[in-house]
Amino acid sequence: MRCPAIPGTRLLFTLLVVGLGLIGLSACKPPPTPDNEQIARGRDLFFNETFDGNGRTCGSCHPASNNFTIDPAFIATLPDDDPLFVAELNPDLQHDFENPVLMREIGLILENLNGFNDLANIFNMRGVPHTLGLRHSIESRAGPRTGWSGDGSPGDGSLRSFAVGAVIQHFTRTLGRVPGVDFRLPADEELDAMEAFQFSLGRQEEFTLPLPLKGKVAARGQEIFNDRTLGKCSACHFNAGANGDPGIFGQDAGNLNFNTGVEVLPDQPADLTGELMPPDDGFGAPGNGEFNTPSLVEAADTGPFFHNNAVETIEGAVGFYDGESFNNSPAGQLLAGATGSGVELDATQIVAVAAFLRVINALENIRQSIELLDSFVNRKFLGNEAFDQLLARAVEETDDSIGVLAAGGLHPVAVAHLREARRLTREAMASRFSRERLAREALGEQERARAELIES
Amino acid sequence: MLKYPTAMGVTLALLAGLSLAHAQKATERFIPIGKSPGLSDKYTKIGTIDAVNTQDRTITMSAPSGTYTARIAEETRIWLDKSKINSTNEEGTFSDLQAGRMVEVKYKDNDPEGPAEWIKVQIAE
Repeated sequence: MRCPAIPGTRLLFTLLVVGLGLIGLSACKPPPTPDNEQIARGRDLFFNETFDGNGRTCGSCHPASNNFTIDPAFIATLPDDDPLFVAELNPDLQHDFENPVLMREIGLILENLNGFNDLANIFNMRGVPHTLGLRHSIESRAGPRTGWSGDGSPGDGSLRSFAVGAVIQHFTRTLGRVPGVDFRLPADEELDAMEAFQFSLGRQEEFTLPLPLKGKVAARGQEIFNDRTLGKCSACHFNAGANGDPGIFGQDAGNLNFNTGVEVLPDQPADLTGELMPPDDGFGAPGNGEFNTPSLVEAADTGPFFHNNAVETIEGAVGFYDGESFNNSPAGQLLAGATGSGVELDATQIVAVAAFLRVINALENIRQSIELLDSFVNRKFLGNEAFDQLLARAVEETDDSIGVLAAGGLHPVAVAHLREARRLTREAMASRFSRERLAREALGEQERARAELIES
Repeated sequence: MLKYPTAMGVTLALLAGLSLAHAQKATERFIPIGKSPGLSDKYTKIGTIDAVNTQDRTITMSAPSGTYTARIAEETRIWLDKSKINSTNEEGTFSDLQAGRMVEVKYKDNDPEGPAEWIKVQIAE
């Protein structure tokens, strides 16, 4: 129906339309351009590119929403047609490609590190390492160390080359693994972009221990962790990272491999399933029994632990070093020979070290949450997250910080601040007009939570 | 007895020094000649076999940058690159190294004087 020609009404109507339009525009500002387009390109490839294979992407095993790793709890949330389960869906991959029982129950992935000549009997079942903090966890004197045993990449062994091996191992349409038929190999520029993306994930700097922690138990755990006569943890996890102590191994020691006896742990969950679980010989082919040192800053929310997901909790992972498997292992024996004793920790000390690891993990989660919220508020982002996902990712990181603290009975006041930060961030996600204000308030709660954990 | 951290440093450094980083060989087999990431054309030689010496277990090959010899040791891996005929790459043997075939040679420790770490042989028909 035509509007009546009443000048005053038409003017009001026009103003109303223009005004609403302006409000709408301000609420729906287009996403800004990423600060680093190569990283953004790498992100797109990492999560969306199947390389003409079986449907999997890098993100199938390294989802951002689960700290770039997978575990049985996360796997249980996936629909049955998720490409992770391609061995259950594709008849050509039904045998000798994955073990669905070990994948769903233990979170293990099949790898043919010792060759593809006897697929039914020669393979390893390994957990999925996260891809956070790689900038400080894969360099060594002898070159990069990727994967659980440091030898995960073909070609020059670099992180850049890792994707090529992953496509061949995990993306293939058939066990023939013919390039150009079963998959396509990543191009050079794609490898460059995916490497840039992976290096951008997580922390870009090492922690510097000791931290001025406020919690008494976590602070004591940090002392034990760094004590060269008690926990002895920092020898191989300097600053709770993935590198050897330069005071022991030299300045450029970087990441190191050890045989710590994980393989001989009794009653491992995977073995208890009754499924075929060949011994994993670690580095090299044939292997020498060694596995590399993972970073501990990101450990508490990325379990299960060790290369075979043998231990579910961070307390159990610390307790491993108090047990016979470690103390009788080549690494344990040498440590005992050098220091006069093995690692002997009592239950309270094990829990204290775990509390320390929980708190530093939460500090890293909070740092990431703040970075994500700040990126949203200031409309500047690197490109390793999609702009419209920044708030959702902040919620996920906040869930992690709440989880690692609450599960250890640590810092209830900080947990309360984090829960409020989570509420505000979720409200921001749902809001049309108050997103930035709510995100700023969530930032404040994150800062207050952090202040509960550590002196400023 | 050595005092900590000296003793610990010596023993742990020895322990950690046992392993050298190296690339994974298993999936390398499926990568066609010239496509090995970070290696092909930088640290490998790609060319055609001119001669095979079964007694010395060496091959002589012509590459764009010159003529090279590669020694095949016990630990040298030989792979048949069948990607040109859309077939699965396979393990090969010394007898697959035949004059006229295209090969890519990766020397152990990138030292052309040392034995080959792996050799890919193109099977084009």
